[in-house]
Amino acid sequence: MMGDRRNPLEEKRNRWGWFFVAPGIVFFSAFSLYPILYAIWTSFHNKKLLSLKPPKFIGLQNWISVLSSQDFWNSVRASAVFCIGVFIPVFLGSLLFALLISSRKKGKRFYQMALYSPAILSSVVTASVWLLIFDPRGLANQFLNTLLGTPGVDHKWLADPVMVQLSTILVYVWKQVGYYTILFGTGIGKIPSSVVEASMIDGANSWQRLTRITLPLLRPTMALVSVMIFISSLKTFSTQYLFNQHGAPLAPINVLTLNIYRTALSDQNLGKASVMSLFLFFILLVLSWLQVKAGGQGEELE
Amino acid sequence: MKKAIALCVLAIAILASVPAQAPVVPGLGSKKITINLWTHEDPNRSVIEKKYIAEFMAANPNITVNYNTYPSNRIFEALTTAFAGKQGPEIFNVSIGNAVSFIDNGRVAPVDYKALGLKGPADLEAMYLPGMLKAVERDGDFYGLPLEITNMCLYVNRKMLKEAGIDPDKDYPKTWEDLISLSEKIVKREGQIITRRGFDFRYDAYTNLFIPMVEQLGGEYVSKDGKKAIIGDEAWLKALQWMKELGPAGKNLGSPTYTAARTAFDKNDNTVAMSFSGLYQEARMKASNPDFYNSKDWMVVPFPQWKDSKKKVTANYSAHYYMVNAQSDKLAQQASWVLVGWMLSHGEEYLDKVAIIQPTKKLIESPIYKSMPYSDVFAKDFENANIVYVGKASARLSTLLSETIQNVMVGGVDPKVALEKLRKSAQEALDSAD
Repeated sequence: MMGDRRNPLEEKRNRWGWFFVAPGIVFFSAFSLYPILYAIWTSFHNKKLLSLKPPKFIGLQNWISVLSSQDFWNSVRASAVFCIGVFIPVFLGSLLFALLISSRKKGKRFYQMALYSPAILSSVVTASVWLLIFDPRGLANQFLNTLLGTPGVDHKWLADPVMVQLSTILVYVWKQVGYYTILFGTGIGKIPSSVVEASMIDGANSWQRLTRITLPLLRPTMALVSVMIFISSLKTFSTQYLFNQHGAPLAPINVLTLNIYRTALSDQNLGKASVMSLFLFFILLVLSWLQVKAGGQGEELE
Repeated sequence: MKKAIALCVLAIAILASVPAQAPVVPGLGSKKITINLWTHEDPNRSVIEKKYIAEFMAANPNITVNYNTYPSNRIFEALTTAFAGKQGPEIFNVSIGNAVSFIDNGRVAPVDYKALGLKGPADLEAMYLPGMLKAVERDGDFYGLPLEITNMCLYVNRKMLKEAGIDPDKDYPKTWEDLISLSEKIVKREGQIITRRGFDFRYDAYTNLFIPMVEQLGGEYVSKDGKKAIIGDEAWLKALQWMKELGPAGKNLGSPTYTAARTAFDKNDNTVAMSFSGLYQEARMKASNPDFYNSKDWMVVPFPQWKDSKKKVTANYSAHYYMVNAQSDKLAQQASWVLVGWMLSHGEEYLDKVAIIQPTKKLIESPIYKSMPYSDVFAKDFENANIVYVGKASARLSTLLSETIQNVMVGGVDPKVALEKLRKSAQEALDSAD
């Protein structure tokens, strides 16, 4: 009987707990949960963006139409290519930069700031600057032609189907690498100095310290960063949108987010856009679950 | 002396046609109204419209008008989002192809004839050239007032043609084949990179410029009954092949990834010799490069035809109409129509300062229209022009057309493959339109 009796202090504390999380719950319900539920409802209805008529229930028609559409699967391909294309250079680049910066005794903050600065630019500004660079007479052609000794070659950064995908990846890597460098830098900073010092006393050289101590202890950060890169690259939009607006062919860079936007706004078909949104949501959900797992693993290791 | 007389005539014509004072909105009393007006960017037009709005607000102190501009390729998205969230502006304008969905979904209020001082639709129709209000007519009512009607012709830099050994008076391009062959003579490249273009297309206006190319050869975008998309494969393939030849996958004479040709043309910096645009380009040229505008180094020639054209078709004209939000307050709607009427009553000034044409009978007959350089070329082409496709799926079809041409031109996709994909998607769009 004693076990069933609740501790009044704990009950009071729980009430305060609800009080403090209430704004978060309200915010989440209004701006996340409601749109998700609404998207599920819309995906089964013939809802047009400007229509004032009540939408008709059409069962699985939107789902069948989207999932059998070549255009949709091309978007899945474009998103997958972009994610994988972004992942390798961002992951390796930011890890390398973080290791280099952490090995320096002076100027760490400066290098971090310099690398992070593209991340604070708006995506629209970034894409506009890179549009000038990728112009046939722009810096990208000049640089590559000087490097390869191929004067006058147009590498068609925005025109060729393969090159335009590479261009969007380049822009994203340039913008994001600084952010992940800081995350890796934080991870490296958390490695206990006693472990490093002990290895030095034992006679480990720099390479051995990197491969036997730093990288193994960075594993939770690596897992976290990997998932974060995938999640954020799946949400890419503005570079592809602006490049297409300036004449780049759509199909190679028609990532899921761009397809959703065009289906909802240009085609005004909210039902189909909702199906695609839910598909993207499901992928993001799985990745977020992995992220939480990776975070938990990190805490356990610590 | 002749010039002085002509200037006096122009001044008198403008003064005589402009109402002296902005109208007062009847029945407003002490009620305060805010009118939001969204329109596409045009720096020259913004100046005069802000002036009319200031005059209107001075005559109606209880009315506040917020004037907002958006890039022309974004305004449709901005409006769609705003209307979907029930936050649409009281007054807006959008190209007619995109306006259809607003009208057909009950988002636009019918013209308030009384607010404009008219008895009814017949009075309004009588003010305009025949057919100019047809696109906004539903069941005998009109749902917008024309801000501008634009058909496009070919701007030619005479000096650049002469330097390439081409006589601009005799050998200016008359056919699509001429455009390619003259471009080949004028183009300059450093390796594959174009440093001077003979001609480049206007890539944001495929429905205005590409569809007539197909129609000249007997093809159709959408059948007359609006049920079938993409008719006449031979015509489509020939026009697509021409685009491919122009682009980097063909003869590498131009590409959508270079600076817009009309903007480069106005600079007269030896980078583009020929470009498509409307009469309004003259005002932009005058503002950005008055020396070039006042020189005799440029001219405007008619829209090209094919050597084996089956019928004469000139560039499709696009139209922008000022419309009023049907979901806004009734008094705000009335005030909005009064304001639209007041702004559009300055047709001559819109033409003089912005070079845009409101298709009123009065304006077309006015001395100011006749005095605009090459207005006769635009007017003659207009006789054979059709309005851009206006249907329930027009916005979607326009997107699909852009994708197709860009895939062929810069993506290296085979025209036959691209056409098949376009046909399938366009038909789906037509079938699924309400």
